[in-house]
Amino acid sequence: MEEQVRRVMADILELDPKSIDTSTSKDSTSSWDSLGHINLVVALEQEFQVSFDVSEIESMLSFSDVLDTLERKLQA
Amino acid sequence: MTSSPNAGDALRADFTAALSAGDRHKAIQAARNLTTAEARARHVSFLVGALGKTDLSALGLKKLRVALLSSFSIEFLRPHLILDAFLSGIQAEIYLAGFGQFQQEIRNPASGLYSFVPDVVILAVEGEVWLPQIYRRGFDHAMAGFAEVIKNFASELHSLIAAFRQHSTATLLVNNLAPPVRPQLGILDAQSEFGQRAGIAQANDQLAKVVRGSPGVLVVDYERVVSYHGAANWYDQRMHFYAGAPVSMSMLPKLAGEYMKFCRAVCGLAKKCLVVDLDNTLWGGVIGEDGLSGIRLDAVYPGNAFRAFQNEILNLQRRGVILAVASKNNVGEVQEVFNRHQHMILKPEHFSAMEVNWEPKSISLERIARKLNISLEHMVFADDNPAECAEVSRHLPMVTVIQLPKQPELYISALHENGWFDTISLSNEDQRRAGLYKQRDEAETLRETSTSLDDFLRGLEMEIVFAPVTASSLARSSQLTQKTNQLNTTTLRLNESDITSRMNDSTCSLTVVTVKDRFGDNGIVGLMIARFQARALEIEVFLLSCRVIGRSVETAMLAHLCDQALRRDAAELCGQIIPTAKNIPVRDVFERHGFAKLEESASGATTWRLDLTRQRVPWPQWIKVVDEEAFATKP
Repeated sequence: MEEQVRRVMADILELDPKSIDTSTSKDSTSSWDSLGHINLVVALEQEFQVSFDVSEIESMLSFSDVLDTLERKLQA
Repeated sequence: MTSSPNAGDALRADFTAALSAGDRHKAIQAARNLTTAEARARHVSFLVGALGKTDLSALGLKKLRVALLSSFSIEFLRPHLILDAFLSGIQAEIYLAGFGQFQQEIRNPASGLYSFVPDVVILAVEGEVWLPQIYRRGFDHAMAGFAEVIKNFASELHSLIAAFRQHSTATLLVNNLAPPVRPQLGILDAQSEFGQRAGIAQANDQLAKVVRGSPGVLVVDYERVVSYHGAANWYDQRMHFYAGAPVSMSMLPKLAGEYMKFCRAVCGLAKKCLVVDLDNTLWGGVIGEDGLSGIRLDAVYPGNAFRAFQNEILNLQRRGVILAVASKNNVGEVQEVFNRHQHMILKPEHFSAMEVNWEPKSISLERIARKLNISLEHMVFADDNPAECAEVSRHLPMVTVIQLPKQPELYISALHENGWFDTISLSNEDQRRAGLYKQRDEAETLRETSTSLDDFLRGLEMEIVFAPVTASSLARSSQLTQKTNQLNTTTLRLNESDITSRMNDSTCSLTVVTVKDRFGDNGIVGLMIARFQARALEIEVFLLSCRVIGRSVETAMLAHLCDQALRRDAAELCGQIIPTAKNIPVRDVFERHGFAKLEESASGATTWRLDLTRQRVPWPQWIKVVDEEAFATKP
């Protein structure tokens, strides 16, 4: 799953997949603006066939946050 | 997840390679395959990113400047518009006005909208913004009805369109209104003449009325789009409240697709010809194996689904789409079905060409294109057999291929999904077009039996009518500028308001050309727009449909322009050739008629002049010419 998330983030935020790690966050990534955030959320929803509620959307502010939220979501 | 996350990698590589090789058709094909793959969103992001980073000038795409004005966050629509445009052969440049800024953008002559100089402007305003009185406060007005607020809405729209027209000749697309999802009166809403939904229906009638009276303005039937996909799927309350984006992200491609139907029509990219397979496409089963009584075509499933599909194809033909057949079969057996099967809805006379043989379908398609003088890019090929579809895609990537699904009941949706054949005007010529191509075929046969070209032309008994452009020929004139690619000196695309403004210019002369011959009336096939400048008549538009190519109609048109020029005492007739990939047949038209080349620009555009004090273009002898006065008095 980690690899798949990395691909989605790379495509949506126009990043090199290799550069994405636990230090990657909304604050540290210029292309991850509010528009990019919505696009990322929508792409993750399509990729993993889930639907996030707004509190989840607002909590996914880094690569690790995304992995945590998705993990919880997919287990539920 | 069933598919590997790498599934799209090969398609991405194909796309990137085709893009850098400047191969438009292959790049479009790869992009289309990628967008039908799973996980569309990230592929869209990849494709749009790649398009943005690449110099697309070598691809020969049509350029189109599209401005989006809306009442909600519409920036999410942008990538879908860019991608969908690309899939249609269009390089779209997008202008996004700040959301909620549509009034200011339209009314302020110095706005970003006008300095962008758009070709197409989309006015996507939600009903709630136009008519909050109906959407939000239905109760306050229920007793009095909505007549007053609807009247005000219509006049506001009218004044907005008038303001727009003062500053732009762009095509304006106006969304109509989708009704409230939950009427405040519940089931009572439908019982009351003052219900919210009834109010919106009236508002849409008024909107359509205002738009119909405004040249170059078109209604986008947003209400139909929403109801087709279902309001419950269309709207996303979460994104509405969280991001100010009421339309569900998964529906944005559908909305972009709807706008793109208009853009294709504006760019002259609407498809003109549908080529269909026969076995398992027009009927169930294989005629060569199942025989006349064994194929499925009747009132029960699956025969009824095939009949419905035939009926839908017939509707396209009535709308002006040219039909043809490409089938691997024995001619005799196919004829037997057409002539003897009682449930066949499509008849031989509905098809302008039939290729029934055992050759690869790509060869049949090329033959059809040659015979009907239609470019392969204007053809759509529909077949149930994936192998045939793949063969055509591989050899003729410029042909749009519809791979029909396994279930015949889904054929109609597959045929219409992209609206390939949608046009923005339906002229009489369109409805007669299929018949016209048949006439053309018969004329071709005459050409083969005539010994000399002169004999052939005399034998056609041509009559040509020149008439000024009027309100009744306005739609056809605009359509001709959008659709004519081969015999078109400048390929200037003009919408109705562009033409109207020239009609109001006394230095401009606009002439439509109608051609009749012994096989029938070809309708309006040519257009000339010329401008008197000092002592010269300068030709701005000179175009002729390829339907009447090779009959020296262009000579008569130039002779007519000479007459016009001499009548107003002009000393010269000037024209320009702007070369495109398609207009090779017209490039020598001035040279052939004695014009002298004045200059050639770096881009290859040439300017030509005929000195009328020394010579003129003579009238061809085999054409009977009717002048415009006679035309005007005709009933």
